[in-house]
Amino acid sequence: MIRDITLGQYYPSGSVLHRLDPRTKFIGTLIFIVSVFLFRRVPGYAVATLFLGAMIVISRVPVKFIFKGLKAIFVILLFTAAFNILLTPGETVLWKWKFLTVTKEGLVLAARMAVRLVYLVIGSSLMTLTTTPNQLTDGLERLLRPLNRIHVPVHEISMMMSIALRFIPILLEETDKIMKAQIARGADFEKGNIIQKAKNMVPLLVPLFISAFRRANDLAMAMEARCYHGGDHRTQMKPLKYSRLDVIAYVILAAYLAVAILFRVLGL
Amino acid sequence: MSIMKETKEPVPAGKPGVEEASAGTLELKDVSYVYSEGTAYEIRALDHISLTMPSGQFIGIIGHTGSGKSTLIQHLNALIRPTEGQVLYNGQDIWADDFDRKELRGQVGLVFQYPEHQLFENDVLSDVCFGPMNQGLSREEAEEQAKKALLQVGFKEKNFKKSPFELSGGQKKRVAIAGVLAMNPRVLVLDEPTAGLDPKGRDEILDQIAGLHEERGITIVLVSHSMEDMARYASRLIVMDHGKVAFDDVPKEVFSHYKELEPMGLAAPQITYIMQTLKERGLPVDERVTTLPEARDSILAALRTRGGAL
Repeated sequence: MIRDITLGQYYPSGSVLHRLDPRTKFIGTLIFIVSVFLFRRVPGYAVATLFLGAMIVISRVPVKFIFKGLKAIFVILLFTAAFNILLTPGETVLWKWKFLTVTKEGLVLAARMAVRLVYLVIGSSLMTLTTTPNQLTDGLERLLRPLNRIHVPVHEISMMMSIALRFIPILLEETDKIMKAQIARGADFEKGNIIQKAKNMVPLLVPLFISAFRRANDLAMAMEARCYHGGDHRTQMKPLKYSRLDVIAYVILAAYLAVAILFRVLGL
Repeated sequence: MSIMKETKEPVPAGKPGVEEASAGTLELKDVSYVYSEGTAYEIRALDHISLTMPSGQFIGIIGHTGSGKSTLIQHLNALIRPTEGQVLYNGQDIWADDFDRKELRGQVGLVFQYPEHQLFENDVLSDVCFGPMNQGLSREEAEEQAKKALLQVGFKEKNFKKSPFELSGGQKKRVAIAGVLAMNPRVLVLDEPTAGLDPKGRDEILDQIAGLHEERGITIVLVSHSMEDMARYASRLIVMDHGKVAFDDVPKEVFSHYKELEPMGLAAPQITYIMQTLKERGLPVDERVTTLPEARDSILAALRTRGGAL
């Protein structure tokens, strides 16, 4: 049932990509996303495809898992494409009905937006597939550390993020359990209209909220009992360290970014 | 492992004659269940299980954590669908298209571990009414069932209007069990109903469950870690190990295989070990004894035949 839903869908395969520092992967993903928006024409996207394809091969994550993420944006993709095709003004009109027009420019724009969206999703799911949620928040904390100077509570934010991430599977499991317990008492979570359905959720939501608050309270107490007091002078058990692998990765990324900028300047 | 086949027709019917013979019979035919099939996290929780649970038995299920006990009992009231195999209730496939699974859940009541986590109503009585009202009873009829069930699990009438969240752990547990009992099930399945209770509360709840078995004549399926409880209450004991049925027999027989139970992370009741040692030291006691009163009788008898103090 619910346990099939995985957030932060880490897929362990121990590849080179898995062993990279989360910061490298984070910046790499950013560079890839920027490049997808820098490219404008077919040759550019060919380069992006090549790069993405190589990364997928290196990651050794089954292709099935990588395309799973696309299901979620399918509707958005459809809408963006439809609006772009039907509402873009242009010179070469191919078809016209009242205020709806299909132009060549519209088709090109729609195709470009679709490719960008798909690449964006695949690129970022490649990061979440190869990085555990905890590594991700660690990496983010380090990358955002300079913001401490302007009094942004970076450590607290990342602590909240990792706790939230940690609790998602627990709460999902809990939801599953409570749901089953109430179904065993004859509850029905599918029947009826919207109002009826909302009412039927009460036996699920009340115990779930109570348990979430209880867990939060227990956790806060356990942290206080161990004298937790925020990020000042706090050291990590496994501090992030760049290895030679990361240096190589940064060189490749820099080269890729240079190519992307060059293509943009040349208008490819 | 050999006894499993010999006792295919399970041993003692707990309360014969209280109910008509076939009503409430559960049967698992070659059932397997695989979690997260086809992913990196695939787990085979049940591995070709075949079992018959006739009406009126008091069945105990034991097994190490992760042996498939919880998965097994969730098959009994159609909360999970077997990956392979069939579950039959009174001879009918419960996953057939025209089978009323909601009706089944009223007949086979399942109480989860930590059932107190499912309480949600403003007062105890309304919470217990939730089940019967889902079965289509009116509020008055439901209240009648609820009151009966609450009294049967030893919950005091003066607390009926209290909020379930003000109650102690043991009381919450009683309310939750009553919540399932109020649906008048023919089979009551309890997943470690005594988890998190003190010894006194534990004995009280188990005695009340045994009382239900007597009074209502319903089948009880009890999942527990405690060998002592099993020896005391169950008339038939199923031992699960790695998704398979390792033993299925009367507790005494199962515990006589205690050497095979140990690698499964289980053991016989402590008194059985004491009796084994006494026998090895030369006192002619019955080493297959599993409960304290039996042990007392056996030791006294042995001392008497020896004619003198130890």
